[in-house]
Amino acid sequence: MSETVAIRVESLSKTFGRRKKRRVEAVKRITLEVHTGQVYGFLGPNGAGKTTTIRMLLNLIHPTEGCAYIYGQNVQRNHSVLRRVGAIVEGAAFYNFLSGRRNLEVLARTANNYDPKRITALLEQVGLAGRAEHRVKGYSTGMKQRLGLAAALLSSPDLLILDEPTNGLDPSGMHEIRQFIRELADEHGKTVFLSSHLLSEVEQVCDRVAIINLGEIVREGAVTDLLEGKTQLRVEVSPADKAAQVLQEHWSLSTTMTLPAIPSPPIPSPTTAAVKQPGNSNARWLTVNASHDDAPHIVRHLVNHDIDVFQITSQRQSLEEYFLSVVREETERAAG
Amino acid sequence: MLNLFQAEWIKIIGNRWASGFLIWIFPVGAFGFIVIFGLILALSPVARENARGDDTGPDANTLQWTKQALDVWDFPVGVMGRLILLGLTSVVFGGEYQWQTWKNIVPRNKRIPLILTKYCMLALVIVLAFALMSFIMAAGYGLLARIVGVSYGPALKGSVIVDFAGDYIQKALLALVAIIISTAYAALGTMITHSIIGGVLVGMLLTYAEALSALGMAVIAHFLDQPVILNLYRLTPGYNLQNVNEWLSHGQPDSANLFDMLEVSDSLEFSAMALAGWVIGLIALSAYYFHRQDIT
Ligand SMILES: Nc1ncnc2c1ncn2[C@@H]1O[C@H](COP(=O)(O)OP(=O)(O)OP(=O)(O)O)[C@@H](O)[C@H]1O
Ligand SMILES: [Mg+2]
Repeated sequence: MSETVAIRVESLSKTFGRRKKRRVEAVKRITLEVHTGQVYGFLGPNGAGKTTTIRMLLNLIHPTEGCAYIYGQNVQRNHSVLRRVGAIVEGAAFYNFLSGRRNLEVLARTANNYDPKRITALLEQVGLAGRAEHRVKGYSTGMKQRLGLAAALLSSPDLLILDEPTNGLDPSGMHEIRQFIRELADEHGKTVFLSSHLLSEVEQVCDRVAIINLGEIVREGAVTDLLEGKTQLRVEVSPADKAAQVLQEHWSLSTTMTLPAIPSPPIPSPTTAAVKQPGNSNARWLTVNASHDDAPHIVRHLVNHDIDVFQITSQRQSLEEYFLSVVREETERAAG
Repeated sequence: MLNLFQAEWIKIIGNRWASGFLIWIFPVGAFGFIVIFGLILALSPVARENARGDDTGPDANTLQWTKQALDVWDFPVGVMGRLILLGLTSVVFGGEYQWQTWKNIVPRNKRIPLILTKYCMLALVIVLAFALMSFIMAAGYGLLARIVGVSYGPALKGSVIVDFAGDYIQKALLALVAIIISTAYAALGTMITHSIIGGVLVGMLLTYAEALSALGMAVIAHFLDQPVILNLYRLTPGYNLQNVNEWLSHGQPDSANLFDMLEVSDSLEFSAMALAGWVIGLIALSAYYFHRQDIT
């Protein structure tokens, strides 16, 4: 049995709805492989098909086409291989009328491996020990999510399949869970398959990533490889409109704004496309998809067109920007 | 396997509102009835006198613990009882859909055992509740009889007990069959609608449709001038439950002349076979449906 491959998915498809009008191709012939010990990110916008894929991995829904293998076993034919898997699917859901501990007991007994000591230890580990005897009804979203993580870890699985595990957590909670996931992989040798909206999270936590959009995998690779050579230059210019026009003749501009690599005050807000600088009311930051070596050319070009350049810095493109540009590209391609 | 049963037990019993109002209410209600009646009889000489009197009071037949214990089992067999049981069975099956908890459970065990466990534990809980109610009624009436000062028979002789045990097991088994059929209706309803209320509604629809099917068939039979069509009614669970109950209680078939078209009068064996077919068929159908279903 080949134990190097934890998950293998072969041209897996799922179409919902039998009637033509309501048919949704949620997942279209995706193929991917997750090796043991990896933390594998599964990235995609809303409705991309992440949860549908995860449900197929867990034999919750039957693929229309293709197969999902876990540790070499077809999950549909060999359901028992799922004993080696712990999962969170689309937000934690529990029996509200039972306590956190009772909920875990029910799940452990369902899997036929009830061990009260393990449950106590897990509740401790996810920080719920104090509320373990309270009914889940009174839990906050974050507490339920933590209980979900404990439930996923119940059977000491080799593989964790986590669908948006930090959803609903506050920033410190997110940080904690991310560290925890990284620890599971680095110190306990677990394999993790993680879907997330939070691109920075995937960037921080994952070794490899697959980007899924409209049910198709559009990019796949090591996080570092995908971002290699993806540098950007940020220039502060005036007048910005004219500068944008001039630069677009030779380079592409990125419309998304991120923090500059060297945080020179004032930091442009990451949410607004442009921030006016005090003093020179027309000056704005522009982000150009270009390498460090292009900087002199860009400055020369701008100056030749009578544009004032205040600052220029280079930065690596974040996964977020990469993701957005890929998704935009693919969506445009799909549209026509 | 034991673990799976325990998990289901925790879920049914732990849902205190649902199990309290939909099933424990029967034995608790019986207990309350006995206590209240006992208090009234104990405190009021008039009530005692009335209860003792020959026309207003309970007849000699009522004052038998055997009858009290057995009569309780008629409830789940009748249409009313079957409708009421849809509540708990729908919560147990439909809750997993409504609370989105199937996704936690299904990867942890095979689907067929999961479904069969639900059937087993529901049957166990419901039978337990009625057995308890049966005991409370039998013992309670003895208490009432003592307060009133009338005799309560029959005497606890070996032959009486053996007879009673035989009758009791038969009645309880019939009730179990009725419970399983009700459970299957609710299970199918919740699987199709993914909700608790859907299970209740579909279950009600099926229970009524079954009861009213004779009328529909009569209409069809009338227009086609084919009275044989009414024979289909002889296959419905409701008819066969009543027929078996009639055989067990009075030793004769539940004979009827349906709409002056068809005489029905079936043997105990016929109805027992028909019910066995329904039980196996419905459990298999719901298990198969669930096995193929997408949990979304
Ligand atoms: N049961 C269903 N019936 C019909 N369509 C469905 C069903 N489940 C999902 N879909 C559709 O399949 C597509 C993929 O949904 P999916 O939940 O897998 O997306 P996702 O990537 O998990 O999105 P999100 O980030 O919002 O969780 C969507 O278009 C969705 O509407
Ligand atoms: Mg999702």
